[in-house]
Amino acid sequence: MPLTKTSQKFNASINAFTIGTGDKAVTMGGENVLPFYTFDAPIENAPKIGAEISDLGMDKNVPGIRDYYAGAEDFTELARRASAIPGVDFIAFALDAADPNGEDRSVEECVEECKQVAEGTDLPIVIIGSKGIEKNETLFDKVADALSGKNVLLMSAREENYKTIAASAGLAYSQKIGAESAVDINLAKQLNVIISQMGVKPQSIAMNVGAASAGYGFEYVVSTMERVKMAALQQNDNMLQMPIVTPVADEVWNVKEAVVSEEDIPEWGPQEERGIQMEVVTASACLASGSNAVILRHPASIAAVSKMIRELI
Amino acid sequence: MFTVTFRQNGNGITAEAPGGQTILMAARASGVDLDAPCSGNGICGKCRVRVLSGTVEGGTSRQIPEEEQKAGVRLACESRIVSDVVIEIPDTAGSFRYGIVTADFSHKEDVAVFNDTMEELEALGIPRIENGFSMLQVTLDPPTLDDTAPDLERVRRILTEITDCDDLRFSSVFVRKAAALLRECEFSAALPVERKSDGSLFVYDILPPHEALIPGLSVDIGTTTVTGVLADLCTGRILARASAGNAQIRYGADVINRIIAACRPGGSEQLEKAVSDDTIRPMIEKMCADAGVSPSRIVRLAIAGNTTMNHLFTGVYADPIRMEPYIPTFFETDAFSGRDFPLGVHPDAPVLFAPNVGSYVGGDITAGTLVSRMWAKPEFSVFVDLGTNGEIVFGNEDFLMCCACSAGPAFEGGGISCGMRATRGAISALTIDPETMEPAFSVIADAAPLGLCGSGIIDTVSELFRCGIISGKGSFIREGERVLRDESGIGRYVIVPGGEHQREVSIDEVDISNFIRAKGAIFSAIVTMLRCVDMDMSMIEHIYIAGGIGSGLNIDSAVSVGMLPKLPEDCYTYLGNTSLAGAVAMLLSESARNKISELASGLTYLELSTQPGYMDEFVAACFLPHTDASLFQET
Repeated sequence: MPLTKTSQKFNASINAFTIGTGDKAVTMGGENVLPFYTFDAPIENAPKIGAEISDLGMDKNVPGIRDYYAGAEDFTELARRASAIPGVDFIAFALDAADPNGEDRSVEECVEECKQVAEGTDLPIVIIGSKGIEKNETLFDKVADALSGKNVLLMSAREENYKTIAASAGLAYSQKIGAESAVDINLAKQLNVIISQMGVKPQSIAMNVGAASAGYGFEYVVSTMERVKMAALQQNDNMLQMPIVTPVADEVWNVKEAVVSEEDIPEWGPQEERGIQMEVVTASACLASGSNAVILRHPASIAAVSKMIRELI
Repeated sequence: MFTVTFRQNGNGITAEAPGGQTILMAARASGVDLDAPCSGNGICGKCRVRVLSGTVEGGTSRQIPEEEQKAGVRLACESRIVSDVVIEIPDTAGSFRYGIVTADFSHKEDVAVFNDTMEELEALGIPRIENGFSMLQVTLDPPTLDDTAPDLERVRRILTEITDCDDLRFSSVFVRKAAALLRECEFSAALPVERKSDGSLFVYDILPPHEALIPGLSVDIGTTTVTGVLADLCTGRILARASAGNAQIRYGADVINRIIAACRPGGSEQLEKAVSDDTIRPMIEKMCADAGVSPSRIVRLAIAGNTTMNHLFTGVYADPIRMEPYIPTFFETDAFSGRDFPLGVHPDAPVLFAPNVGSYVGGDITAGTLVSRMWAKPEFSVFVDLGTNGEIVFGNEDFLMCCACSAGPAFEGGGISCGMRATRGAISALTIDPETMEPAFSVIADAAPLGLCGSGIIDTVSELFRCGIISGKGSFIREGERVLRDESGIGRYVIVPGGEHQREVSIDEVDISNFIRAKGAIFSAIVTMLRCVDMDMSMIEHIYIAGGIGSGLNIDSAVSVGMLPKLPEDCYTYLGNTSLAGAVAMLLSESARNKISELASGLTYLELSTQPGYMDEFVAACFLPHTDASLFQET
């Protein structure tokens, strides 16, 4: 009996979502099949990779990162170096220093940093907010203004602060919004609904549905992403058809496997290698589960993940 | 020791209290009623009092606005007495005991619903009156020197003759009263007797001739309210009715807090006393006075209550109900009689309990299931009892299943800043003008508005959402004169502005989120139960709503906030207090009692916490109207 191939091509698709401008603009999403199911239908926009840089400076404990960014005196130079990593599609700038419980850097300084980053790259820019949920409201307002016309994506609009961010970044400055929820399909959808009800077009929203390092309860992440994709494609749920952007770097470079030194646990082998492995494994698992873009830190991880994407699509 | 004086409406009580004791403890010790839904854990902010003179330490919670703190307002549970003090108790405290509005057959509608129910049950083969009780009128030959048989023998002789029964048993009440009464009434008497199922005849009492009433008592013991009906066992006539707040409320608003309180040293006795001595006994005295009989003449009791209430009422150690794997002592018991309770009823009166089916589905639900008559219909029905716990029964003539979900006290006004029970002064219905955002509302007893009761809360949230003032998550997204924010940014909608003689009545984002969780619990429980048997909402043809909240409930509002499924309005039937109605049926009719036992043994109990999809459904339902909006779209 001949084998009849059934195609799992859906009638609905993920929104095509563009950040940045001009030649270097990046489009993600748009597919009507499950991740990497190129045998069912072509995937026009391959998953994208963002290089993460932080306004606290780059990690000095990881030689590969330290050496790659060595001598970069300002954020313009950091951005320039990050953009030069092969396989990078966009720059993700994390405003970690703005955290009120950390350095509490002023909004004005942060805006200045963002402008410097913009000078150093012509790739699209994604801004990752601080841990200060309230502070992000004013921060994003000013950053959206300063980078207006650049079509940036402002991550970290959450249930607590989405109103201001949607009104200013989304509506007043026409930037893109990243809706951040914590590994729960219903909470993700609810946030998309209320942001849309503010008047932001669903096509201007990306989702960060939350992540974890591989091995740290990652099955929840898989299940959430997979169900989001199934709802979007199979049930044509237009409140879940936004592409998923997952900041992987921040998760993996803080877990034990990436932090404990080789002196402390010699049998685990070299620290840097472990960190890269965690980053690559987590990123590829996120992409396989449904992320349309991942944000990574180590140049070696970016190389590995971009190779994987190239070979699969 | 310090002297504490409690003042309410010009009345005062003075008591002694050791230094460091909280005002709440001192109030409980001296029998002063103070609502403490969270059992004095400093969470609910309901036990507000005002310190008129003297000093207390603590009690200045952020739940009390600064101006009120300056005026001496404190939380009673967190203020420690460190000097002689004078404490003012607000008018609304103790409202659980007085004038609570609940479905207790004192309204014409409730009586009509009850009578219809009884007729329909009769048509289904459950006679309204079918018990072994009767009143025998006897006249004995007076004793003489030739006939020296004792009084008891004489009665035995005539009873054997009248009833053809030779297995006669006598209550000690009869034995003690017989000599005096027989002589006083010239050897004529009325004897309330019961033909037991084993064929024996039990003589309860001896009464003056021509007494005809044999009163029986039905009680619905709710976590928040207790209602009772006194009925004549021979004719089924309702003799009197009463309701009261469950005085156990002093020890916590929900069953978990009550169990915790009962497990403290001496706690079990305190809770037993609160429900028997302080709640049911005064109700019995009132009803008996209304009916003109003495409480000791009550010879049969039927109790319907949730599992915890049954355990606490009978003084049974309840902690295992609270702890995994949630095991009660009994589902069904006939171990108790009148003498086991300080209620003043006949010591030999059998006390019947509507059987429990699970640790969180009790006799109130089995009694309610009988009344719903869903067990006699081929089509599928859902029965929802909206109380502190929401219980849901689903099925038809072939099968029945049930579950319980913790809705919390929101439907009864608990956990809501301006929430109150459905008493005088509660806003029970409300609409908002979508243009001006101005509210229009009605208040129970047309009094000055004091707060919001369950139906008022449902209406308010529904209207705020309809007018686009709050988002699906319950946060304020429209600004206006009526929308204010506190210093930490929490928005609130002002229904009645505060003034010199008026406390502000408003609903804030925290209240709305509490409510959304409560309604989410109910809706997701219905969905989960249906999903267990692979069915969806469209299979439901009847939804029966029961519970104290039911009477004021606006079905439209409840549907538009996503608390109840969107079905044509004629699917919905309000059944009132089905727990009490079931208890009355059980009191009067053995068939009804047997049917309730049969239903209880056939009810499949579904433990929601072990259902894999329940948490997901719950989170999906915690949104207005629902994360899956298609469930509530106009079709």
